Amino acid sequence: MIRFWQKRFKEGLKTQNLWADKEMAAIKKELKSQIAKTFAGSLAIRMVDSGSCNACEAECNALSNPYYDLERLGIHFVASPRHADILLVSGVVTFNMYHHLLDAYKQLPNPKWVVTLGECALPASFAIKGPVERILSVAHHIPGCPPEPDDIIRGLLQFIRKIQ
Amino acid sequence: MRFIARFAQELSDRFEVIDLYDQKKIVTPVDKNDPILPTLTRTYPAAIWFERKIKDDFGIRFEKSFDTRPLVHHERFPNVHPMRKDFKEKIDFAPFRPYPYERIEGEGIFEVGVGPIHAGIIEPGHFHFSQEGEAILHLEVRHFYKYRGIEKMMEGLEPLQGFGIVQKISGNESIAYQIAYLSLLAQAAGVELDENVRRFNALLLELERLAHHLTDLGFIPNDAGFAPALAFCSMLAEDTRRLLKKICGHRFGFGAVRGEALEIDKSAVRDYLEQTREKLLFFQEWITQIPSLWDRLDNTGILPRHKAIKYSTVGIVAKASGVALDRRQDGWYEQFGFAPLSASKGDVAARFTLRLEEALQSCELISNLLDFSKTDTPLESFADGEYLSFTESSLGEVMLYLRIQEGKIDRFFARDPSFVNWQALHLMMPGNIIADFPLINKSCDLSYAGNDL
Ligand code: SF4
Repeated sequence: MIRFWQKRFKEGLKTQNLWADKEMAAIKKELKSQIAKTFAGSLAIRMVDSGSCNACEAECNALSNPYYDLERLGIHFVASPRHADILLVSGVVTFNMYHHLLDAYKQLPNPKWVVTLGECALPASFAIKGPVERILSVAHHIPGCPPEPDDIIRGLLQFIRKIQ
Repeated sequence: MRFIARFAQELSDRFEVIDLYDQKKIVTPVDKNDPILPTLTRTYPAAIWFERKIKDDFGIRFEKSFDTRPLVHHERFPNVHPMRKDFKEKIDFAPFRPYPYERIEGEGIFEVGVGPIHAGIIEPGHFHFSQEGEAILHLEVRHFYKYRGIEKMMEGLEPLQGFGIVQKISGNESIAYQIAYLSLLAQAAGVELDENVRRFNALLLELERLAHHLTDLGFIPNDAGFAPALAFCSMLAEDTRRLLKKICGHRFGFGAVRGEALEIDKSAVRDYLEQTREKLLFFQEWITQIPSLWDRLDNTGILPRHKAIKYSTVGIVAKASGVALDRRQDGWYEQFGFAPLSASKGDVAARFTLRLEEALQSCELISNLLDFSKTDTPLESFADGEYLSFTESSLGEVMLYLRIQEGKIDRFFARDPSFVNWQALHLMMPGNIIADFPLINKSCDLSYAGNDL
């Protein structure tokens, strides 16, 4: 037990962005209050990968690590599209994922929004139906390849501001 | 002999099917008017997906193959062969043709389909279980939802342009892919990579391996219901991504491997290593003392050694089953303290422990790789020809093939380690219950993007 507290003292608080400046802290604060206002404190995201390289998923997973701990702002990645406010889509839309993406989108209850993640910037291909915006109406785009966790947090705030 | 890959290419007057083994390469010409060839699947089961893919891509058939279903062409894919040179068109959805899944018939046996979209932040793919109550009788893995047509995309590009695509084949193996591609280009340019460049690249590759293993060291216990491990290890993984960003400007190393060794902040790397090693040792001690966790990991998802060999598996999956295969065993890595690691039980616990050991070994390798200075190896003109390269990514052996014709890419083929390992996943299922599937799957942690191309 003593070892635990010693360690804890040495480590300090992890749930903060050690390198982040005041800007990030302000963004998170605003995001939390915006979510409280617009989504009654809980924003549910269903993530779908319709043809990514998997780095975008890795960054979304990173959002749950103790450095970012997105849940404390009221943001949850949910298992079912039926529980989601946002469909967060990464990657291009492949030929083979096209119908599955549309299915997932249909399952979201209204009101619903599509937010896209990253720009793969791959050459045209017969196996790709296009970027998401050619297939679904996109409310907001978060740029980057991949967008870093901080970019995603910033992007979500911009999204909420936009839909108000 | 270990089977590595079987793939095809089209020349002006014929097709060629290339069979790659660890000791030899066999090239068989195939008549364009009647493209048919004997199957390899009777000896090498891992050839199944390769042959089904060749059939979809080129229309080459395989005699006596016991599985001729389409692979990359899903239910609405039109009947075209996109890898043929005369294929230039755009395709449209064809009428839905149902895919016949592997079936086990019998009283009370039912099927469970999972995916392509999964309940979490995971890549898409389909798992089709035949169940007898809780017990898994059979699993069919069905992928290629993310099939982006990478191979065709590369054709016609200048060799150097290929980097931009290759680095996006599989994000968490990006550095490995770039290193493999750089090696192809160095061969084509007829140059030796500078020793400093090799060290810099190897250092990035070990950081990539650490980021990947650390993530898994958290996710595996998490799938067995032990969430604190995920919180702890995901922090270490985040530290690794941040260090990568600091030394090469990108958290996944996109664009970092181009034949240059960059000036890096070595003291930042040393600090990182010291902390990570200390935390990993703490983690090792902590995690081994949680009996309920090992109760889930031990004896779950066993891949016996003879099957690991028969199915041509690579990477952690092979190593944990006692097959000490590692492309870093090349006479160069050893001077930095590399020695191939392996385990014998082939269960989830073995794959988990091995990742931990590899992560610790990567720390040691990095500290020994730090001795290099800024330099670059210029790559300019590339000779026509056919080139092969192998790199040990965090998932296992990445194999790349490049054919340059008149200065342009004529054929590019990539075999992700996952392409063979996915085919062995079903062997780990019998005797386990469906609730253990996520755990077993995570312990192998395979790439969908790299597999689907
Ligand atoms: S945007 Fe970049 S990182 Fe994200 S999936 Fe596309 S290629 Fe990968």
